[in-house]
Amino acid sequence: MTVSQGLFLIGFSLVLLAVVIFAAIVLRDAARMGSSANVTRSFFRRLRRPSAERAELDRWAFYAHRLSGFAVFAFLLLHIVDISLFSLSRARYDDVHKLYGSVVLRCFECGLLFAILFHAFNGLRLLSIDLVNLRIETSRRLLLAAVTLTIAGGAAGSVVILKPLFA
Amino acid sequence: MTETENAIQAGRAPALRPSRRTARRRETRPRARAASFVLVRVTGLALTVLVLGHFALTHIVHDVADTNSTFVARRWGSALWVAWDGLMLASAIAHGAAGVWIAIDDYTPDPVKRGRRRAVLLSLSGLALALGTIAIAAAEW
Repeated sequence: MTVSQGLFLIGFSLVLLAVVIFAAIVLRDAARMGSSANVTRSFFRRLRRPSAERAELDRWAFYAHRLSGFAVFAFLLLHIVDISLFSLSRARYDDVHKLYGSVVLRCFECGLLFAILFHAFNGLRLLSIDLVNLRIETSRRLLLAAVTLTIAGGAAGSVVILKPLFA
Repeated sequence: MTETENAIQAGRAPALRPSRRTARRRETRPRARAASFVLVRVTGLALTVLVLGHFALTHIVHDVADTNSTFVARRWGSALWVAWDGLMLASAIAHGAAGVWIAIDDYTPDPVKRGRRRAVLLSLSGLALALGTIAIAAAEW
């Protein structure tokens, strides 16, 4: 491993560490606000309510939106640094860029894809709530659509990203 | 006496959560907040196209292992992609910094700590913006 690759991996670890710490802060605050989800029988009973009564879905969407946004932004800062190596020396850029094809980074890219898709679809939902003043049932239905599109798009994209590992 | 007890004694309904959020709201300037609200939504809408397009091109259409310096050089030879990447860089930094700024406000009640975290956020964002701009500009000359 070269020095540049080592530095990139240190930066990558710092990004992951920042995301874990941020997730802990978000979850601790959620518990403080009384939003902690205790997985008990009453939890499953609550899930069977009609979606209009499930206010917790909006909160969960909020936490997922915030966490995915932070994760993408943290990675963006690192990504800009490795891209800017291109103007320093193309050989060094290629050297660091090779890591993107590794097993760990490819798995990370799948996670990144899920985060970007959820943040984008849920963001469009929030924008449409602001612009059109949607009813609460409609906004919950759009949340369901955003989650479905994220899972479908993320799974399909992950197959494409991971395929070279099995070739 | 706590803020809640004060409110009850004065015959007012106590604030639901008098701790962190009220402290923040007093301090925020409404105009800056409205500007940040619009900024986040406009850049967010642009980023759904710019970022999803970028990700699709570099991970789905091409394999990530093939997007080496030759690929970057060819792409930055076209004005369209320079504009795309420049716009994406500026929007993403503005969108991300505005979002994390709000998260910092939410989770940092201590004003000294909040100032410190804001400073870290602004310097990291500014540094990334400068570095990215230099990289794109340097590829042009």
